[in-house]
Amino acid sequence: MPSDEGLLDRFVDWVPTTLVFKCVASWTLVPYWARRTSVKSLPGGPPPSSRHGDNVQCMMNLIMPLKVKSPIGRAEAALAIAQSQDAIYAGLNNVGTVHFARFVIVGDNICMFSVYDGDFTNYIRDFIATIGEVFNEVVKLVEDGEKVTPCERNVEAFIQWIHERDLYQVPDTATDFLRDQEALNGDRAVSPVNDDLTLLPRKMVLQLRANKNVSLGSGYRAYPGFSVAQVRKQLGLGW
Amino acid sequence: MVDTSTAKRLVQAIIDNLEQPVPGRRPVHTIGIGVKGEFVASDVARAYCIAEHFNGKPVRVSVRFSNGLGGVKQHDGWSDVRGMATRFHISGERGNDLIATSLGEFFVRNVDDFFEFSKIAKREKYERRPWWRKVGDLLQLKIPPRNPYPNETENVDEGALRYANRNRFAQLGIFQVGLIGAPKSYARASYHAVHTFWVTDPHGVRRPVRFSWQPVAGVRKTNPKAVPHEKYLFDELRDRLQRWPARFMLMMTIGEAGDALDDPTKPWPARRVRVAMGTLTLIKVSEDQEADGERISFNPCRLAPGIEVSNDPILEARLGAYEVSREMRGGCPFKWR
Repeated sequence: MPSDEGLLDRFVDWVPTTLVFKCVASWTLVPYWARRTSVKSLPGGPPPSSRHGDNVQCMMNLIMPLKVKSPIGRAEAALAIAQSQDAIYAGLNNVGTVHFARFVIVGDNICMFSVYDGDFTNYIRDFIATIGEVFNEVVKLVEDGEKVTPCERNVEAFIQWIHERDLYQVPDTATDFLRDQEALNGDRAVSPVNDDLTLLPRKMVLQLRANKNVSLGSGYRAYPGFSVAQVRKQLGLGW
Repeated sequence: MVDTSTAKRLVQAIIDNLEQPVPGRRPVHTIGIGVKGEFVASDVARAYCIAEHFNGKPVRVSVRFSNGLGGVKQHDGWSDVRGMATRFHISGERGNDLIATSLGEFFVRNVDDFFEFSKIAKREKYERRPWWRKVGDLLQLKIPPRNPYPNETENVDEGALRYANRNRFAQLGIFQVGLIGAPKSYARASYHAVHTFWVTDPHGVRRPVRFSWQPVAGVRKTNPKAVPHEKYLFDELRDRLQRWPARFMLMMTIGEAGDALDDPTKPWPARRVRVAMGTLTLIKVSEDQEADGERISFNPCRLAPGIEVSNDPILEARLGAYEVSREMRGGCPFKWR
């Protein structure tokens, strides 16, 4: 870079790259700006859309904190899944709209990541119908899970409970993330507006404070726009 | 149709914002290099589009890679949009042009927007931000603006930011320009044609599509914190092609009802059907750069039967503006359909 820079210039350019600055900023600046600027948590799951392509290969990224935050709690969750493998696979086949699904333990959370076609509420409804008992076994190990089990008798509450634990999906473009914030705040202004794009980093930091876990982007798809049914039909796999 | 006077005003607006006029040269994307190659469509391409270059037979191709900045000074290492203009040479000495840049979305929707942008995003003095203002930025959790490159005294960054702050439709394009960086090689960047085109299949079905080139060698940028090199892209491409051809995949995304068909500022969702239309193989840098790098003239509206323009006002404006620019610099005319 140019040679006219002085010692202070170089120091100030270097400081933000240091762990010390990031820690101090996290303890001081982030809480300060969070108090000054209220940022609401953005809802999880894909946004509603009437377009075909938006309703196939949707992602669900469910993070459920375990009640027992120890290896024993994690082992209980692993065992609950392992004991139900046949039921889960048969249920997934019966649902018929799931491309991929897997359970993952991350820290003291049991997570379910899946890619499905169609409406989110119907997806969960189908699961309740086909593997509701498995969900009950898993959810009872999760914080606040007892409020919505058995899920067969608490269908709407269970769907809402799942939705609240489904991660916010950060859009593929940084500025669409601003549009999500504006929509949540009821800001529908059109040009001319009085935005400040230089605040985007702060807005992102504060949003990630409100939504601690997020999905980054809508994800890569090798064959976007095709449903499970279309793929299986084209490949001659039948049902 | 954008009339000739508007096309001239568009070109003049660009010329007026140059550091120095560049008579006889392109007012933007001035620095460029012509390359020869061949395109072979994929097995499925003909099922989507009847255009000749998608019928599966090898097609001779001329490509011009370029730096986006206007002016004769070459700044390969600066963060800048790069261009990849491609002519598919089809039968009857005709051509189909596909003009793409490393920018995914454009920053204005129509001609009026462009004139307003030109008024606001004028070249301004660009200096290193004083350290105490950078400290202020950091305290506000802002990222300070980058330091000027060596010999960079002016740019349009401040004006472009002012425009984006007033117009949300421009924010994505301008934000992307700010982060675009410099490629390690012209053959290691993705290029997007930003506009929507309509393609017709053998059954007469018309589909709205957008095209992108993806490098088989992968995308790679230079280190933004290192001192940028002024000139390396031409030599890198020559060296690369002497060793081995460079390849690009032509990807075509199919839009759906409700997608932004006529607005190049709006991206389409990543979930749209995406078809691999073929592979471009770049074979050698042209020996006659005057003809293949300078006088060659592209136009995004020069299309083979089977591909049509959308109602995108910017695409429509480019039809006239490119011709005006060609005439002004004495570029080589080329047969239309």
